[in-house]
Amino acid sequence: MQGVLGAFREIDATCDAITELRKKNFSEITVFTPTPRHEFEHALEPPHSKVRVFTLIGGLAGLTFGYWIPIWISDYWPIVVGGKPVASWVPYTIIGFELMVLIGSLSTVFGMFALARIPRLTMTVGYDPRFSHGDYGIWVVAAPDRASEAADLLRQHGAVEVRNER
Amino acid sequence: MATLVQPRPGDDVPRPNIPSANNRLPAIADYEQVDRDIIATLGPTLGWFAALGLAILCLLIGASAWTYQIYEGLGAAGYHPPVMWGVYIVTFVFWVGIGHAGTLISAILYLFRAGFRTTIYRVSEAMTVFAVMTAGLFPILHLGRPWKFFYLIPYPNWRLIWPNPKSPLVWDVFAILTYLTVSATFFYVGLIPDIAVLRDHETNPVRKRIYAMLSLGWRNSEHEWRHFTRAYLFLAAFATPLVLSVHSVVSFDFAMALTPGWHATVFPPYFVAGAIFSGIGMVFTICIPLRKVFHLEHIITINDLDAAAKLCLFTSMVVGLAYLSEFQVAWMSGNQFEQEYFWNRVFGQWAWAAWIMLICNCVLPLSLFSQKLRRNTTWLFMISITINIGMWFERFVIVVPSLSHEFEPWQWGGYHPTWVDYSILLGSFGWFFMWFLLFIKQLPVMAIAEVKEIVPPRLRRPADHSHDIDIGYPDSAITLEDRL
Amino acid sequence: MSNDTGSPGVKRRDFLKVLGAAGATVGTVGCSSEKVGKLIPYLVSPDETVSGVSTYYATTCRECSAGCGIIAETRDGRTTKLEGNPEHPLNRGALCSRGQSAVQGLYNPDRFRGPMVKENGAWKAIEWDAALTLLNQKLAAARGTATNAVFLNQHESGSFPAFLDAWLAGYGMRPHLSVDFESDSAAIEANRRSYGVAWPRLSFGDAKLIVSFGADFLETWGASVPQQLDFADARAKLDGAPRFVYVGPRRSLTGLSADQWIACKPGSELAIANALTGKTSIADAAQQSGVSAATLQRLQQEIASAKPVMALAGTRGANALDVALAVAALNQANGAVGSTIRPAEAMTGFEGISRFGEVAAAVERMRSGAVPIAFVRGVNPAYSLPASARFADAFGKVPFKVSFSMYPDETTELCDLVLPDLHSLESWGDAEAARGLVSLQQPAMDPVFAGTRATADVLIQVALKEPANAARYPQKDYRSWLIQRFPGGMGAFTSTLVKGVGAGTVATRTAPAAATTTLAASTPIDSTKGDFYLVVYPSPVLGDGRGANKPWLQELPDPVSKVLWSSWVEIHPETAYRLGIDRGDIIEVSTAAGKVRAPAYLYLGIRPDTVAVALGQGHSSVAKLDQFEPKHTDPNVVQWGYGRYARNIGARAQDLLGIAGDAAGGLALVSTRASISKTGDREDLISTEGSARQHGRGIAQAIPLSELGRSPRGDENGVAAIAAEGDAKAPKEGEEHIPGEPPTAFLPGLRSPVAADAQGELGSPTSADRGKNKGMYAPDHWSGMAERRWAMTIDLARCTGCSACVTACYAENNIPTVGAPWQNATIWADAKAGFNIVRGREMNWIRLERYFEGADDAKFTEDFEARFVPMLCQHCGNAPCEPVCPVYATYHAPDGLNVQVYNRCVGTRYCSNNCPYKVRYFNWFGYGEPDRKQYAFPSPLDWQLNPDVTVRQKGVMEKCSFCVQRIREAETRAKTEGRALAADEFTTACAQACPSRAITFGDAADGNWTVAKQVGDRRGYHVFDELNTFTAVVYLKKVNHSEPAAPAKA
Repeated sequence: MQGVLGAFREIDATCDAITELRKKNFSEITVFTPTPRHEFEHALEPPHSKVRVFTLIGGLAGLTFGYWIPIWISDYWPIVVGGKPVASWVPYTIIGFELMVLIGSLSTVFGMFALARIPRLTMTVGYDPRFSHGDYGIWVVAAPDRASEAADLLRQHGAVEVRNER
Repeated sequence: MATLVQPRPGDDVPRPNIPSANNRLPAIADYEQVDRDIIATLGPTLGWFAALGLAILCLLIGASAWTYQIYEGLGAAGYHPPVMWGVYIVTFVFWVGIGHAGTLISAILYLFRAGFRTTIYRVSEAMTVFAVMTAGLFPILHLGRPWKFFYLIPYPNWRLIWPNPKSPLVWDVFAILTYLTVSATFFYVGLIPDIAVLRDHETNPVRKRIYAMLSLGWRNSEHEWRHFTRAYLFLAAFATPLVLSVHSVVSFDFAMALTPGWHATVFPPYFVAGAIFSGIGMVFTICIPLRKVFHLEHIITINDLDAAAKLCLFTSMVVGLAYLSEFQVAWMSGNQFEQEYFWNRVFGQWAWAAWIMLICNCVLPLSLFSQKLRRNTTWLFMISITINIGMWFERFVIVVPSLSHEFEPWQWGGYHPTWVDYSILLGSFGWFFMWFLLFIKQLPVMAIAEVKEIVPPRLRRPADHSHDIDIGYPDSAITLEDRL
Repeated sequence: MSNDTGSPGVKRRDFLKVLGAAGATVGTVGCSSEKVGKLIPYLVSPDETVSGVSTYYATTCRECSAGCGIIAETRDGRTTKLEGNPEHPLNRGALCSRGQSAVQGLYNPDRFRGPMVKENGAWKAIEWDAALTLLNQKLAAARGTATNAVFLNQHESGSFPAFLDAWLAGYGMRPHLSVDFESDSAAIEANRRSYGVAWPRLSFGDAKLIVSFGADFLETWGASVPQQLDFADARAKLDGAPRFVYVGPRRSLTGLSADQWIACKPGSELAIANALTGKTSIADAAQQSGVSAATLQRLQQEIASAKPVMALAGTRGANALDVALAVAALNQANGAVGSTIRPAEAMTGFEGISRFGEVAAAVERMRSGAVPIAFVRGVNPAYSLPASARFADAFGKVPFKVSFSMYPDETTELCDLVLPDLHSLESWGDAEAARGLVSLQQPAMDPVFAGTRATADVLIQVALKEPANAARYPQKDYRSWLIQRFPGGMGAFTSTLVKGVGAGTVATRTAPAAATTTLAASTPIDSTKGDFYLVVYPSPVLGDGRGANKPWLQELPDPVSKVLWSSWVEIHPETAYRLGIDRGDIIEVSTAAGKVRAPAYLYLGIRPDTVAVALGQGHSSVAKLDQFEPKHTDPNVVQWGYGRYARNIGARAQDLLGIAGDAAGGLALVSTRASISKTGDREDLISTEGSARQHGRGIAQAIPLSELGRSPRGDENGVAAIAAEGDAKAPKEGEEHIPGEPPTAFLPGLRSPVAADAQGELGSPTSADRGKNKGMYAPDHWSGMAERRWAMTIDLARCTGCSACVTACYAENNIPTVGAPWQNATIWADAKAGFNIVRGREMNWIRLERYFEGADDAKFTEDFEARFVPMLCQHCGNAPCEPVCPVYATYHAPDGLNVQVYNRCVGTRYCSNNCPYKVRYFNWFGYGEPDRKQYAFPSPLDWQLNPDVTVRQKGVMEKCSFCVQRIREAETRAKTEGRALAADEFTTACAQACPSRAITFGDAADGNWTVAKQVGDRRGYHVFDELNTFTAVVYLKKVNHSEPAAPAKA
C-alpha cells in the first residue's frame, strides 16, 4: 500500500485539503490531529461510532449476571439470616447495578480497542511524531499514477511537507 | 455550576469571573507550548526524591504497625467494646470519599461540559485511583483474621461456601472493586493519547519503549479519535451513577444497621455530598502546591480554582443541611434512643469531635462566599486542609459515638486509639502519596489533548469567535496574574 | 434444589446442611488452624472410663463451711465441671460461684508440685520420705512441750476433725483449732444460746416478713446456697410472699434484694432491735440510729401484724452478740421459732468453729515462745488476721512450722516445711450435711500433681514411723479408716457414694474447747476517732480472700459494685461530691490500726457517714517476684503471695482492723471509725458497669405486687391456660404492657423456630420460595429441627444477682479470663491488672446488669431500688446480627438458635455493632493459644477445658450458644436410645447452677416444657421488643412488695 503524506500547520488548510481530496475521489484518507476537532468531522463526514453497541450489550449482560449470582448463591445454600427471605431480590439490585457498570465499561473499552484497531504493534506507514505535537497530517492512499496529483493538491493547500511513502 | 458574575464598575476584583463553560487559556499560544509546558513538569528533582522518601517512610511505619497487629491480635489497636469499629473504618470511608471528587470532576463535570475541569481532572482522577487503592486496604486491615479475607470474595471454591449477598459488607466488596476497576480504566483510557505524545517526545530509548507500549500504538488518527471520544463519553456516563452508588453503598454499611445514629435514610445523599466535599478539599490540597511547584499557574488558572471553590462551597452547604436534618429527624422521631444519642453527640462525651466537624465543614467554608478569598490560593489551601480534617472527624463522629452510646446503657463505653491505630493512619497517607508522587513524575499531570482542545488552533484565515460565547473582553487583555 | 434428586435416604446435600445448621458441631469438630497435638488412644481403657464419655462423681464442696453436695463431671480422667448434687438436701442441685471455682483451685497452676523444705532461708524440694522423717524428728523433739503445739485447720464438718484430734492426742497435743475467718461467731453463739443449735434451718417460705439486721444470708452469712434457694422460692410465691426489710449501714447484695432498706448507724442495730421488742422506746432508738422514728414505728406495726416474722442478725460489730440475742428475742416474741427458724433441721456445718478469740490466744502463745511446733492446713492466718494481730512476728517465734497448704500463700511462706495436701476433689473425706446425714467426699480424679499427698494419709504415715502411735492405725490410709468406721461398713459406703449422701455419722469431733477469749472488750465504735464509720465485710466472691487465686472469681464482677481484679472503697456520692472525690480517685482510708489505698466507688447503698471496704484482695509475698513475668511457665518459680492471680492485686482490708472482738469471741469487722483523704492520683475503676441507670429503656422491668393482682386463672400465674390459648389471642396494640394481662405479641415468634416464619414463608413479602425448598427450615424436614424453638425465661422476681450463672458459663464454655496484668498487648502497652476490663473486653457470655432506680439526684435516700438482669444472647428470631455478616458466620438454625460458626468468622465485628443487646464478645488476643502471653489457661488450668466446646481462636467473635453442645448431646442420647426428647430433660449451664432457680430453658414450641408454660406469664416481656427482634429470652418482671402504708413504687 502506498500513498502520500502531507503535514499541515493550520487546521482550516487541512480541512480544505480534505474536502478537495474527497472531491477528487481519493477515498482512503487518514487524518492525524493532536486533538479531536469537529472541523474534521464536518470535512470527512464519517459514520457514527459503533462503540455504543458494545456498551449496551455489556451493560445488559452485567445486569443479568449481577442479579443471577446472588440469587443463585442464596438458593444454593438456603439458610435464613435475620428472618429475611432466602433469596431476597431487593438488595441484590445493588450487586446487579455494580456488575452492570463494571462489565458495561469494560466492554466499552474493549469495543473501542476493537473498532480503533488498537493496540497496534507498528506505526505502519504514514505517521509522523509531529502529529501528536502540533501539526495536522493527511495520509492519502494513492496508486503511483495518481500520487503526484495528490501531492500537488496537498501542497497547494499549504502542506508544509509532502512525502511519498510505501 | 459556575455563573456569570458581572462586577460593578470600580469593583476592586482584579477581573470578572468568566463562565466556566468557556474556559480560556490566554497565556497559551499554541499546541507546542502545551506540550512544552506540561512535559517540562516531568523529570525527577531532589525535592521530589525527598518527598517520595518521606512518603515511603510513613508507609513503612504503617506496614510494621500492621504486621505487629496481625501477630498480636486486634487488641493491639484501641478498640473498646462496644466500639467495635474505630480509626480503620473511619479512614476507610475517608479515603473512599476522597476518591469521589476525582470521578466527579472527570466524569460528571465532563458530561456537564464544565470547562474548568479540563486542567485539573487528570490530577483528580489519579487521586481517585490512588485513594480507592488506599481505601481498599482498610476493610482487610480491620479484620480479626485478615488472612481469611478471601472468604468475602465470591468465587467458586472447594468449600462450596459463598459470601452472604445480603450483607452490606459484601455489597462493599462489589462496589469498591467495581469502582477501582472502572476508575482505573477511565484513567488509563484518558492517558493513552497523552502517553503517545510523551512517546513521540522521548529521546531515552528505554523510556520511549515503555511509553510506546503503554500508548498501545496510538496514532492520533481522526479514526481513533472518533471511537475514543465516544468510548470516553460512555465511560463518563457509567462513572457518573457509579460514583453516586459507591458512596451510597458505603453509607449502607451504617444505614442498614439498627444502631442509633446510623439507622437513617438520609445517609446515601449525605455521604455522597460529603465525599465530593472532602474530595474537592483534597484536590485543592494537591493542585495548589502542584501548580506552584510546576509553574502551571497559566494553565490551572485562578478561574478554575475559583469555579472549583464554588463547587466546594455548594457541597459544604449540602453537608451542613444533612447534619441539620439528622438532628431534626432525631428530634421529631420521638425515638428516645436517637434523641439521647444525638444529644450525647453534640453536648456529651463526644462534643469535641462533633464541633471540630461542624466548624471545619460548615462554618469555615462559608468564607468562600467572598470572591476575594475564593481567588486567594493561600486561603483556599488552608481551607482545604481544615476540610480534610473536618471530614475525617465527620466519619469519626458517625462511627465511634454511635457505637459507644447504643441501646444498652450497661454497655456504654469510650474509645482510645493506640499508637497502632495512628501509625496505620499515617501509613495510609504514606501509601497514597507514594503512588501520587510516582505518578506526577512519570505521566503528564494534565490531559494534554484536552488542554489542546481549548487552545485556539492555528488558522490561515483570520479567526472568528462567532461560535464562542462573547465574554466581553478581548483576549489580549491578559493580566500579569494569568502568566504567573 | 436439594430434594429434586429421586434417590431415597439421606441426601449428601441435606447431610451437609445438618452439619452446617448444627453450628457448634461444626465449631467443635471443625478444628482451629492450630496443629493437633499427640493423640494417644486408650488400648485398654481404665475401669468405668469410656473415652469421650463423662463420668459423674458425687462428692462434697469444701469451699466454705456449708458443705454442699456437688457432682464432678469427669472426662477421660480429668474433672471438667462441678454442678450441684440434686440429691443433696442442702443445695438441691444448685451451686454458687465459689463452689464451681473449686476446679480452678484443683488445677491452679501455682499449686505446690511436691513437698518443700526451707533451709537457711531458701526453699528447696525434698523427697516425701525425707520430709516425713524430718517431721517425725521434730515431733519427737517437741514431745515435752507438745501440749502447747498449735494446729490451725480449715473448718470442716465430718470426721476429719475427730481423726485429727485423735492424731494430735497421740502426740499429747491439744485439739486443733477449726478456723473459718468468714463465720459469724456472734450469730452462732446466739443461736446456740437461743435455739440450742449453731445454725437452724431458715425457712423463708413460712415467713410473712423478713427483717435482716446486716445478715447477708445470700452471700457469706451462713450457707448461702440453701438459704438462697429457700428465699427465692418464698419470693416467687408473689402473693403471700414475705416482704423483706434490710437494716444496716451498708446495703449489701442481700440488702439489694430487700424491698426496704433502713440505713442505721453501725452499732445502732441493737437499739433498733430492742425498740422493736419494746425494751426501749422507738424515739431514742431513732435518735441513736439516725433512722426516722416513723420508719421504725411502721416496722414495729408491720412486725406485729405480720406473723410469723423471720428476724436475722449478722452485724459484725463489737455488740454483735447482744444484737443477735435481741433479734432472737424478737423471733421468739413473734412465733418464728419452729416455723421460720427451725432448730430441729439444723445445719450442722457450723458446729465446732473455733472463735477468733481462741486463734488470737494461740497467736499470743506463739509470741510467748511456748509453742514448739505449729501446723497450718487450708487456712492463711498470716493474711486473714488483722495486721494488729502481728501474726508473722508471733509465728516466727515457733521453732518449726509445718504447712499442709496446696498453694504458696502468705502463711506457708513463713513455714519451714510444706507437705502439700491433695485438693478435696482428689481426696477422701466426709461432711455432716445435717444432723445424722453424712455427705461423702471422694476423689473425682487422680492427683493432678503426683508429688502431693492427702494430709490425712500423711498424718497416718508419720504416725506409723513411731511404734507407739503405729498401733493406733491398723488401716494404712484414711479411706480405709473412714470405711472401717462407716455405719454399715463397706457395702453401705459404696452404695452411699453413688448418691453422695446417706444417713449416719462417721465420727463426731470432740466438743469444742470452751470459748477462752482473751480479747479485750473493745471500745464502742462511736468513741473511736475518724469522721467516718468503717464497714469491712467478707467479699461475696472472694470470701475472706481464699478465692483470690482463681481467675474465674477475680474476673467475676462483685455483684454490688461490679468491680473486679481490684479493691475499692465504697462511699456515698453525696459525701464524695462534698469532698471532691470522683469515681476512681484513689483515696486513703486510715484507722488506728493502719491505712489502705484504693479507688473510690460511689455507691448509693451506703450511709453518707460510712465507708466500706471488702475483704479478699491484697495478697502479697515476702519474696520479690515479678508480677508481669510473661507466661509464668517455669514451675520452679514458686508464685508466693497466693499465686500469680492474687499477688499484688488490690488492697488488704485487714490492715484497717484492730483485734477488737465481740462478746462471743468473734472478730468484730465493724469496730472502728476511719478517716479518709484524697491522694490526688486516680485510675479507671476496673468495672464492667457502663451506665448504672436504665434511662427509662425498660431493660429491667418491675411491677408492684399491688398492681399485679390475683391471677385471673387459679394457678400461680395462670400460664398454662395462656400458653394453651396463645394462638387464639390476637396481639392487640400495646396490650402486652397492661399489668396482669399476658403478653401475646411475641408469642408467635416463640412458637416457630424462625420468627419470620410466623410472619409467613420466611418473611418473604413476595414469598418467592413459597412451598418449595425451605430446606431444613421445612417443618416436615427429616431432621425435625424446625419443630423446636429453644427459648429461655428469666424470672427477675427470683434473681438475686449472685452471679453463679456467670461462673457456670465460664466453666461450661471455656470462656477465657482476660483481666490478668500480662494479658495486654506487648509493645507500648501498660501491663496493669484489669486493663482489658477497663477497655470493655471482658468475655462474659452471660453478664449480670445491675440497674438502680430512684435516688436520681445523688442525694442520700433509703428509698432506691436495684434490679438485676442476667443479659445473654437473646437468640432473636429476627436477629440483627445475622444479615450483616458477610460470610454467613452467624445465622439462624432451624431450631431457633442464633448460631455462631467460629471457623467461618473473619472478624468484621459488624454483628456486634448491630446487636442491640451487646452480647457478642470478640477475641482481641490469642487467649486460647498456649504460646502467647495472653493465654488464659496456663497448664494445668487447661485440663478443665470442656472437650465439647472449641477454644476460640484470636480474631473471631463468640457469644452465648444456649449451650448448644448440651442440646446436641441430649438429642443424640435420645436418638441412640430411640426415643423422643423428654420435656425438661436437660438444661443449660447457667440454669443448672442458678441458686435462685430464676432461669428456665427449654423448647418453647412444645407445650410440655416448663419454659413453654412460662413464656405466657403475665409478667413476661422482651427487652427492646419495639425493635421487633422476636427474642427467645423472655424476662418475667421483678415484683416489688411495697410498704403496707407507703404508696407503691415500681
